[in-house]
Amino acid sequence: MSGPLWLAVVHKVERAIGEPVETAVHSDTYFDAVAEAMRLRRRAIGAVEGVSRRCLHLLNLPAGTDLRRVREQLSRIERRLIELEDERA
Amino acid sequence: MNPGDLIGRVNRDVERSLLRARNGLRYVRGSHRPTLGTTPKDVVWRGGRAELWRYRTRPPARVRYGPPVVIVHSLVSRSYILDLRPGNSTVEFLVDAGLDVFMLDWGVPDERDADNTLETYVDGYLPRALAAVRRETGRPDVTLAGYCLGGVIAALYAAGHEEANVRNLVLMATPIDFGAMGPMVAALREGRLNASDLVDETGNVPPDVLYSGFFMLAPTTEIAQKATLLEHLWNDEFVEGFQAMAQWTRDHVPFPGAALRQVVELLVRDNALVSGSLRLGDRSVHLGRARGDVLVAMAERDTVVPAAATELALDLVGDPERRHALRLPGGHVTFGAGKSARRHTMPRLAEWITTHSDQDPETKEQGWTSAASSLPIAPPSSGSSRPSPTRIAPS
Repeated sequence: MSGPLWLAVVHKVERAIGEPVETAVHSDTYFDAVAEAMRLRRRAIGAVEGVSRRCLHLLNLPAGTDLRRVREQLSRIERRLIELEDERA
Repeated sequence: MNPGDLIGRVNRDVERSLLRARNGLRYVRGSHRPTLGTTPKDVVWRGGRAELWRYRTRPPARVRYGPPVVIVHSLVSRSYILDLRPGNSTVEFLVDAGLDVFMLDWGVPDERDADNTLETYVDGYLPRALAAVRRETGRPDVTLAGYCLGGVIAALYAAGHEEANVRNLVLMATPIDFGAMGPMVAALREGRLNASDLVDETGNVPPDVLYSGFFMLAPTTEIAQKATLLEHLWNDEFVEGFQAMAQWTRDHVPFPGAALRQVVELLVRDNALVSGSLRLGDRSVHLGRARGDVLVAMAERDTVVPAAATELALDLVGDPERRHALRLPGGHVTFGAGKSARRHTMPRLAEWITTHSDQDPETKEQGWTSAASSLPIAPPSSGSSRPSPTRIAPS
């Protein structure tokens, strides 16, 4: 691509840095770390949700997880209705 | 260089510097973002979060070819990549070429979609959406065009449904050989990453995880892209295009957890599509049973779905006598946007589709009217609805 010299230099430098970075982030170690980070994140969110759920349940209020579960169940019913509708058709 | 040229060059540089400053401020402030997905359209069907859009023809252009083209979008990204901006939109190009274009957009899945499997899309949403297309157009057949994972859904539907009346099947950047996909897929295949690691409390893969996966393919390229932007900051057109692409790149939708588990087990770890068949529900779907002409379109520099992952479709999908290849320069987004898309993808796609369609110079003018006038308004039924056509304002 034609352009000013500074741009060509930036592109060259980016590739010089980028190639080793790409090798690093495509490595097994990186993906092991990602998997572990995702597990930790889920555990942390689960812990926070557990505490807030217990607090809300103490006040006899539904928590976000309850609403999520209800929405999931409604969705299953909706899907079943569609299947029945298809069978009838 | 004579003095006249020198003055002209100084003037140009000063002018560009002023434009750079103005556009730079706008960019940093986040104002003047381009509107995306602007081709006028009507919603003609809804099911769950999914919507089927019919694009309106702009006079004096009119629908001159049939069957209608139904684009099945991927499950991981936003469909406006195929209708990015006026003058840079595959959808607009196809509409202007005289095709009747529909888009099946999956919407934004939430916890209600966590149980969605490939069957939900292949045997549920897609057949219902196509029934709506038949009602709308009066044509029994379609040209089915799938982009990325949407191509897998389209191919499985075309091959797995006896009643599928697919005149043409267009597979754009459609992964068949998951062994040839990138490092994230390799990590899933080797068991370093599991589907359950990626799914959040809603049961879906959150969009930021998907974004990170794509970002990590080349994490430093943003530096070079920003430098290129700085050089072209004086150019309004370039800045708009850059902003549009940057927005799409970051704008992913949650991926349903059950579908992910199935993709990982069947498509990634078993690499089942390579054998030419896939177990779906209680049956085996053989890709070779897809009827009609098949166009396998792949981009040479696609790093998301490399051409090597796509080209196997030429050996497996449909009748061997009716398979066609379209090799395009550019990357994964060349199917929707960019200079390469305008120069190569859009004209060649439109040409292939129109030459594999019926030309209908006059008679269909009445039969192919806009959704607003052709759709009887019926009360919505659960899940699979025929909404009164909704005009969608540009987002």
